[in-house]
Amino acid sequence: MSILENTPPIERVCVVGAGVMGASIAAHLANAGVQVVLLDVIEGAAASAIQKMLKTQPAPFMHPKFAKRITPGTMDDLSSIDDCDWIIEAIIERLDVKHQLYAQITPHMKPGAVLSSNTSTLPLKSLMEGLSPEHRPYFMITHFFNPPRYMRLLETVISEHTDPDAANRIIEFCDHRLGKSIVPCHDTPGFIANRIGTFWLHCAVTEAVKQGIDVEVADAVLSRPCGVPKTGVFGLLDLVGLDLMPHILDSFSTALDLNDAFHSLGPAPELLNKMIDDGYTGRKGKGGFYRLNILEDGTKVKEVINLTTGEYAPAKRPSPDAAKAAKKSGLKETLRHKSAEGQYAWSVMSQTLRYAASLASEISDDVDAVDRAMRLGYNWRWGPFQLLDKIGTGWFARKLKSKNMNVPELITQASGRKFYKVRSGVMSILGYDGTYSHIHRPKGVISLEDIKRQKAPLAHNISASVWDIGDGIACLEFHSKMNSFNPFVLSMINWSHGELPRRGFKGLVIYNDGTNFSVGANIAMLLITSKLRLWTVIRWILRYGQNTFGKMQSGPFPVVGAPHGMALGGGCEILLHCNAIEAHAETYTGLIEAGVGIVPGWGGCKELLRRWTLSKKRPGGPMPPVMKAFESIAMAQVSKSAFEAKDMLVLRPRDGVVMNRDRLLAQAKKRALEMSKDYHPHEPIEMHLPGPSGKTALSLAVKDFLNKGVATPHDGTIATQLAWVLSGGETDHLSTVSEQGVLKLERDAIITLAKTPETRARVAHMLKTGKPLRN
Amino acid sequence: MTSPQIPIVISGYVRSPFTLAHKGDLAHTRPDDIAAQVIRGLIRQSHTDPALIEDLIMGCAFPEGEQGFNVARLVGFLADLPLKVAGVTVNRFCGSSMQAIHMAAGAMQMGAGEAYICAGVESMSRIPMTGFNPMPHPQLAEDMPGSYMGMGETAENVAKKYKISRADQDAFALTSQTKAAQAQSEGRLAQEIVSIQTADGVVESDGCIRPETTAEALAGLKPAFDQNGTVTAGTASPLTDGASATLVTTEAFAERQGLKPLAYVRSFAVSGCQPEIMGIGPVRSSQKALERAGIGIEDLDVIELNEAFAAQSLASIRDLKLNPELINIDGGAIALGHPLGATGARITGKAAEILHRQGGKWALATQCIGGGQGIATVLEGVS
Repeated sequence: MSILENTPPIERVCVVGAGVMGASIAAHLANAGVQVVLLDVIEGAAASAIQKMLKTQPAPFMHPKFAKRITPGTMDDLSSIDDCDWIIEAIIERLDVKHQLYAQITPHMKPGAVLSSNTSTLPLKSLMEGLSPEHRPYFMITHFFNPPRYMRLLETVISEHTDPDAANRIIEFCDHRLGKSIVPCHDTPGFIANRIGTFWLHCAVTEAVKQGIDVEVADAVLSRPCGVPKTGVFGLLDLVGLDLMPHILDSFSTALDLNDAFHSLGPAPELLNKMIDDGYTGRKGKGGFYRLNILEDGTKVKEVINLTTGEYAPAKRPSPDAAKAAKKSGLKETLRHKSAEGQYAWSVMSQTLRYAASLASEISDDVDAVDRAMRLGYNWRWGPFQLLDKIGTGWFARKLKSKNMNVPELITQASGRKFYKVRSGVMSILGYDGTYSHIHRPKGVISLEDIKRQKAPLAHNISASVWDIGDGIACLEFHSKMNSFNPFVLSMINWSHGELPRRGFKGLVIYNDGTNFSVGANIAMLLITSKLRLWTVIRWILRYGQNTFGKMQSGPFPVVGAPHGMALGGGCEILLHCNAIEAHAETYTGLIEAGVGIVPGWGGCKELLRRWTLSKKRPGGPMPPVMKAFESIAMAQVSKSAFEAKDMLVLRPRDGVVMNRDRLLAQAKKRALEMSKDYHPHEPIEMHLPGPSGKTALSLAVKDFLNKGVATPHDGTIATQLAWVLSGGETDHLSTVSEQGVLKLERDAIITLAKTPETRARVAHMLKTGKPLRN
Repeated sequence: MTSPQIPIVISGYVRSPFTLAHKGDLAHTRPDDIAAQVIRGLIRQSHTDPALIEDLIMGCAFPEGEQGFNVARLVGFLADLPLKVAGVTVNRFCGSSMQAIHMAAGAMQMGAGEAYICAGVESMSRIPMTGFNPMPHPQLAEDMPGSYMGMGETAENVAKKYKISRADQDAFALTSQTKAAQAQSEGRLAQEIVSIQTADGVVESDGCIRPETTAEALAGLKPAFDQNGTVTAGTASPLTDGASATLVTTEAFAERQGLKPLAYVRSFAVSGCQPEIMGIGPVRSSQKALERAGIGIEDLDVIELNEAFAAQSLASIRDLKLNPELINIDGGAIALGHPLGATGARITGKAAEILHRQGGKWALATQCIGGGQGIATVLEGVS
């Protein structure tokens, strides 16, 4: 889907209803850069919701300053709707109240403006009954998932009355500007994700109670083996709030046909109601199925409820054999496991998958829509039909039959075939008519996964590959563990630098499909080499990394970084050396090397100094760039979004922010192509740094932090080394320090720190626990 | 006693509202704009002919950035003072604008003019406390750590050396807040405040005072400068934005111009002390100033002692044997705020104003200064 050329842009949006969903939808609209009006019936509710969101974690705003884009108001003055392009209703799920509201709103809608409902349960058909014929073409359902900033799913429902241009205008906006993956749904109760998700949750709880399965065991066997987040079922219910469940279950009980399998699950267990009555509503209350108990000595103990007795006991983190079986041989082994846990997993997943298969054609255009909805709305790693492919539709059908369970028609029709298969390098999907057809990516989306199916890499090793993504642009992909940096990754960058120009490539994009762009350098090597006192080797690795990153800046073609998720340490340093960045809005980046006892050593100090030196927004004199870089590195600051990364100058003002993760690679490629037309390599600069006086100033600040107890002794040692690097060593501020000079200081500082037992302890602790040691 | 040959009087005193740095209402306003509006307010309220002013002496602790160049001269331009009125910026850190008064009084004793505006300004939002380019002398910093020591650490040193307990500091801070809140609610601060026009509207009242402060809340605060210390954010003056100004003239000038002097400037003094315990600075400077005025502590009716920290205030009070009843009766810096360069003129003007209001005979205004100094001024009431 592309942005319609003749479609007027969405510049101003009104959200009616300042509850949790309405307010956080408003916040995400503000993230997208539009002006938002947030209205509520209660005086002051909208303003108070904005203030509350500024303190909420995870933050609804991508930058606190975006809160100013929202104008709060009340329903007493609807004139603010007059010039809005889109009005989103997010009020109580009562048809009569919604109809009443529509009657108030519609007279204020300008021609072409669209009204949509964020309902999660009410059918479009019923909602439209409250609208006059002239407004029906401009009405649709846009169902966001909570929290709207982070959940990528947007379910949409339109009718035959909906004006296609009006609907496309909203869909295009939600795709490009809000970063949503749009899943069109049929007008059925709960649409797709909640219809299946609620069944799954309810089934898992009732079966656990019925079969006497412990909460932790249920979560262990339903999470990792099924590709579900480690919160599992009970942890997820604690997160969303137990008190919501009775409302949701009531709503489905009323809305669904009596022959729907949902009814066979029965009512919610009595324990759930008791827990809610006692204030155990989940993480927002006193706890839920899990709770954090603080003992008299202050120790925090995670406890879990016994579903039979209702008593809490310390959590044990069990690892049932049925779950381990999946690790060895896949989900099917879990489902066929003879243990009680295996039988529990079968009962929950067989009912859920059967339910999804029996409903699919009723609720969606194709099974991919169902899978996408569950992946994006419930964070499942694989959707129901991908899970069916994993266990095999033939095996599943046979197993159902052996248990005297009906086999859904869709499974029978698949007749042992997979729902997804690759044909001629293109992913195809089994349609409801029993034939395969290609899955079409939305226009403007480039998928590295698709490219990898169709061709061999230009070069590759165990940690990185280089792909031809067309039009003379190559893509460097990391695929080491957690996309960490090691000499193999560096060697692939060097290969790209030397070989791609010879092969006629015009630019390089650094991108991968992983959860995170890169978590940094592989610090195991640092630990080993420092324990063996191989200082020369450490110095060589540092110089090799610095030279490699330096080549990216000075090479003959532009290099565009396309980060997403975490880009930490070395992952941030490589970005700092890209000629441009197109970052996904959810990019969390920073130079966090202090956490493992060192300073950035692959040019991170140098590049941040350079950027602050060249910044026109900083005060004059030699100290401000040094202080800015020092603050960022010593405090191991990590941006909470790409917009915050701009404040830190990891992203420059001219770098781009892409809201839709699926469009990141295409945008980075486009940027590389644009830059290749008139590309000028990086020009090294000479910097006036303050020398020992600057180091003294920073050391005084470090002393204050030590006195306050917010820095540990080794924090102080690292910060002092960092101060020395950033101040330019022994220079005088009338002299200049070259970029190479700062790089040498980086290397010297790391060697000095690597010789300390405290730094080695930090590295070892990080490798063992994944958490920083505060020694 | 060494009486001035030419009687010098404080003929006017005003200030801007004092608001919290970074989050207060003046944070987004340039300090020179704040100061210029205060100077205009002083001219307006005192009904002075600005053409008769000899000089604008302006104190500023970090005279750089927007309060850089020669900010006094630039503020003169912004305030539409006649071009013939000169301008000089003076820096004695927290004592800067009290120093401005001393310089004016001294100059007038030399016959160098008859009327001075002695002012002070500091935006701690817009110019950081160490300035934009702190570059301490490395060897001095190593040999004499006190020379660049943070003020919070010096307060902890004073608390330890003079055995000022956490409870006493909290009680002192609570009293400061209570007095300031009461003065504000009774309108005792309104007269001295000049409203400041900002891009976001007019700022009319102080923003630092916390009338809701309780002993329990203060007791619950963690130490702010030393994890094992006793000084908290509640017992330290907050980072503040603001400006102040006094009109300092000869008595003869005031009479000729029909001004209403608030008090005579009878003596003043500065002194040095160990920088590690700079908070004790008021002791020696006050003793010197009182001696020069020929009076003793027991003669004082009004005392304005700058509350940089509760610890150093209490140590100074104890050493000087000051009567707590007479100190900072309209609240001190812990409650009102402490825009470094502006505080000296505020407490001197305030001492004069209270003396005038209450009809007392002698007043002392004194403060400590970073780097290990004290400064003091003795005023005499106008009968």
